[in-house]
Amino acid sequence: MRLEKVELAAGSVLGADPALDIVSPSDAGSATKEKGITVRHGWQRHLLTFLMVFGPGLIVMEADNDAGAVSTYMQAGGQYGLHLLWLLVVLLPICYFVQEMVARLGIATGKGHAAMIYERFGKWWGHFSLFDLMLVNFLTLITEFAAISLALSALGVSPYIAVPVAALGLTLMVITGSYLRWERIVIALCLMDLTWFWLAYKVHPEWASVARNTVVPTMPAGGIASSLIFLVIAIVGTTIAPWQLFFQQSCVAEKRLRFADLKWARLDTLIGSVFTVCVAGAMMLVGNFGFQHGIVFQDPAQFAGAVLPMLGHVTRNAILLLMVNAAVLGTTAISLASAWAYGEVKGWERSLHKNLREAPGFYATYISCVGAAAAFVLVPHVPLQLVILSVQVFAGVILPSAIIFLQLLLNDRELLGERWVNRPWNNFINWTIIVVLFALSLLLAAQVMLPNLFN
Amino acid sequence: MASVQNSYEPQRFSVIHPLDDVAEQKCSSDGLGQIAMTRAVRISLGVLRAYLVLMTLMLCYRVLQLAGVLR
Repeated sequence: MRLEKVELAAGSVLGADPALDIVSPSDAGSATKEKGITVRHGWQRHLLTFLMVFGPGLIVMEADNDAGAVSTYMQAGGQYGLHLLWLLVVLLPICYFVQEMVARLGIATGKGHAAMIYERFGKWWGHFSLFDLMLVNFLTLITEFAAISLALSALGVSPYIAVPVAALGLTLMVITGSYLRWERIVIALCLMDLTWFWLAYKVHPEWASVARNTVVPTMPAGGIASSLIFLVIAIVGTTIAPWQLFFQQSCVAEKRLRFADLKWARLDTLIGSVFTVCVAGAMMLVGNFGFQHGIVFQDPAQFAGAVLPMLGHVTRNAILLLMVNAAVLGTTAISLASAWAYGEVKGWERSLHKNLREAPGFYATYISCVGAAAAFVLVPHVPLQLVILSVQVFAGVILPSAIIFLQLLLNDRELLGERWVNRPWNNFINWTIIVVLFALSLLLAAQVMLPNLFN
Repeated sequence: MASVQNSYEPQRFSVIHPLDDVAEQKCSSDGLGQIAMTRAVRISLGVLRAYLVLMTLMLCYRVLQLAGVLR
């Protein structure tokens, strides 16, 4: 393990826990007074430090509940009722363990995932991963803008106005030259997803049945059909997406989290995982309303229109606006993942702290991703629902490669030393996750090669 | 006679935002080159290559089938 030289700022007190230095009253002046906040109690410093570190974990998880995810979870509820709720519980620890490793690698190296793959596995794998990431991200961005178009069309806004305005807003969100400003806006958008709980309550599911299906896997009517397997893989693909690995590691590096922040980054990731899975469950409950009332729908906008006579305008509009919110969250996170990764491989200046002139390549990548996806959606007769579901499956297929790189990097003792590498139990869990993902993808392969196998 | 000073002062904690804090020594790959090609790494990458090629072909087939291009 090689260590980079650092410069120590005057007035800082470096101890075992640099985020939580204990200072004497006389030391509390100078640099720390200018840049730090002095508190009197231990609980205050823990809370404050957590709040300062909080963000990347919640954002990466909740942004994963993007437009494609809303569609997939609602389809799951609409087609199979509450039968797939248990799958979310299974995916919760998987989400956490994968993203915890990403946060750990980001804190240990201070670099993004693309940079680490490029440096440790060479140019071929670096460019391959980057190409994969950019492709899947671009396809996913199309689904996000498709959702914005669908939802706002249902609210009476022309796609030719809604999509360009959304693209412009998403661009303005990042070019403020402040990471923290972007982070605060996105956290506020994440918290808007709390509305899904109100919607889930409003559709009056049978709570006993919800509890039972959450902990006990049950077989839907019709048994294991190919459509069920396809949907399960789509749910896995949408809950754990490859861009998340790249995004959180780059985000942690951008926020310059310190070694001592790891425990708070873990808590942030845990809170994000739990929140996201609960929101996903709420989406399934809303979709289940369609299942109970025999409503057949292709996308959430269609569902919102169909439930208007039963649930009223407020519910309909809430579903449509939440769809837009999910798409906006997904777009900004995914585009940033692409821009950070591309900048890392190209060696460009890449930071939200920089303005347009200081990091032109970084912002050009972001704006190109957003602009091209927005333009694609405006092409008439694009089969949107097919694109949405295909992207989720494709992401689920590509994911194992990203996780294998993560796993190999976290066993790289030469780079990380003993302190940061995976423990044996980490490796056991991660290899199990990889095997499960491979198995699901192989099931997809079997379904493709032998389509009648499960019918 | 030695004088005893009252050294009690209430503890205070300075909490610094990560973006305002001093840079930290990170694990760097500078000069390390590529990852050591251990048996585990070689096998993982080999399996990954084969898997990705197979999956991409199959997925394309499936998408085209769903789109109605292949019957």
